[in-house]
Amino acid sequence: MGRKFNNLLLEFARLHRFLMRVLREAVSPPYEFKEIVRQCYEIGWKSFPLIGLTGFIVGFVFTKQSRPSLEDFGATSWLPALISIAIVRALAPLVTALIASGKVGSQIGAELSSMNVTEQIDAMEVSGTNPFKFLVVSRIIATTIMIPILCFYIAGIGLFGGYLSIIGNDQLSLLSFFTQVFDKIGFVDIFAMTLRAVVFGFTIGFASCYVGYYSSKGTEGVGKAANSAVVASMFTVFIEELLIVQVLSLIS
Amino acid sequence: MSVAENKRSLIVGLFALIGLVILIAGILVLGTQQNKFSKNLIVKTYFHDVKGLKVGNNVWFSGVKVGIIKEIAFEDVENVRVVMSIQEKDSQFIRKDVVATLGSDGLIGNAIISLVGGTAANPEIQDGDVIKSGASGGMDQMIGLLQENGANLTVITQNFAKLSQQMVEGKGTIGALLTDDAIATNLKSSVVSLNSVMTDANKAVNNLVTLTGKLNNNQGLIHDLTTDTEVFASLRESAAQLQGVTQTANALMENLNKTSARLNDKDNALGVLTNDAEAANEIRQILKNLNTSTEKLDVNMEALQSNFLLRGYFKKKAKEAEKESKDAVSK
Repeated sequence: MGRKFNNLLLEFARLHRFLMRVLREAVSPPYEFKEIVRQCYEIGWKSFPLIGLTGFIVGFVFTKQSRPSLEDFGATSWLPALISIAIVRALAPLVTALIASGKVGSQIGAELSSMNVTEQIDAMEVSGTNPFKFLVVSRIIATTIMIPILCFYIAGIGLFGGYLSIIGNDQLSLLSFFTQVFDKIGFVDIFAMTLRAVVFGFTIGFASCYVGYYSSKGTEGVGKAANSAVVASMFTVFIEELLIVQVLSLIS
Repeated sequence: MSVAENKRSLIVGLFALIGLVILIAGILVLGTQQNKFSKNLIVKTYFHDVKGLKVGNNVWFSGVKVGIIKEIAFEDVENVRVVMSIQEKDSQFIRKDVVATLGSDGLIGNAIISLVGGTAANPEIQDGDVIKSGASGGMDQMIGLLQENGANLTVITQNFAKLSQQMVEGKGTIGALLTDDAIATNLKSSVVSLNSVMTDANKAVNNLVTLTGKLNNNQGLIHDLTTDTEVFASLRESAAQLQGVTQTANALMENLNKTSARLNDKDNALGVLTNDAEAANEIRQILKNLNTSTEKLDVNMEALQSNFLLRGYFKKKAKEAEKESKDAVSK
């Protein structure tokens, strides 16, 4: 019991050291721009089809499911407002983060742990490249940039999915739809969405890299790292979501 | 840098750019809708009760969104200060005497401020103006209406009281009617006269009924006149004949007229006879002469009777006359 608690504290200390190192290395030259762009391509562009489709389905289905409840009040004309609040305030960053955790998190975890297992990281260090900057920092920066970008796409696609669902039942022009959508949200909501996406992006990158970088040796370590990268990312995202909602409800 | 890497950078750049464009477009649309980028006027008003109005709610003028609520705060114990920002482009249609009322954009919709009224004579609203607030619709309005009704009812009952007082005192027509005995007597006699008139009228009507009944019977001249076509035809014939007769009579009268006119003239025998005095005298002379002539003739004739030549004849005649008279007696 005491040892477990001890291990937990050690783990936290290691996390803190890792975080400090990431922040320090991120701002200090040389910058690995080429590697960052490559990671952006892998993380952002490669996961866009999956995440975009998910966003569309979420918007479409959410609208479809909300309709009966609003119909009871004869308030189906409020669907755009409902969708806008739901997607911009909650769903867009969260859905992006969750899908990205699965797609990107597992990828990063598996990549880094397999490099660790095959001792490529050590080889890099020998060849004079800073493996931490090249592998970890570039990935974390890439997720921190790309998750918000994906989140904006999701918001747009999700709203469009909602619109398609609405016009299945009602007559509504796209202009009228977006007027109503933006009628119910404020700058705070857009700011909150961006902030969450940035935080989630950083979290996914950080958790996945940490798990991959410190994976146990052996081939089973790779699978384990991939798995725990996803679990850790998702779990942390939800915890952060909870905290951010609390803070934002104080602001707005 | 390899071609593949170049392509990769391009895709990433484009991807990120579009994502940011979505964000910026969202911000711009939102800002435009919430008047963040347009020039705005700040206008204040005070309410006793804002009924759940919130910052960011819409301000409507004639049902069109012209601005939003910027700030809601207590001014003093009785008043809540509501600061509105109104788009400058719409402000030229809003006048200084506009009244802010609380409303809602639907049955269960958001609270809004609705600007009502404003006359063209007043200058347009300007930055920093304080506008009046008015009673809102709904319950308040209904209660206001009820109060008005109550006041009206009071006035009406007061008037009725005055009216009934005057009636009791015998003022005015109705009062006189109710209280003056002379009028009552007159009215009574009028009614009696009316009664007899009505009786007569009744009789007249009865007679009329009889008459019309007779008319409807298949008897009488009027019935024949109104129903029998033969009678009418013969009547028409008679009338035609009558016309002929009158025409003849007319001609006769004309002739008579002519004749009598001639009598008046002197250029014919009758005219001379009737009109000429000289002729009359001559005629008179002639008659005188005729008279003397006949006298002399008479004497001559008597002398002739005594003449022998003729005496026998007269004797014979006397005898015959005597004989005849005898026969008459014997018979």
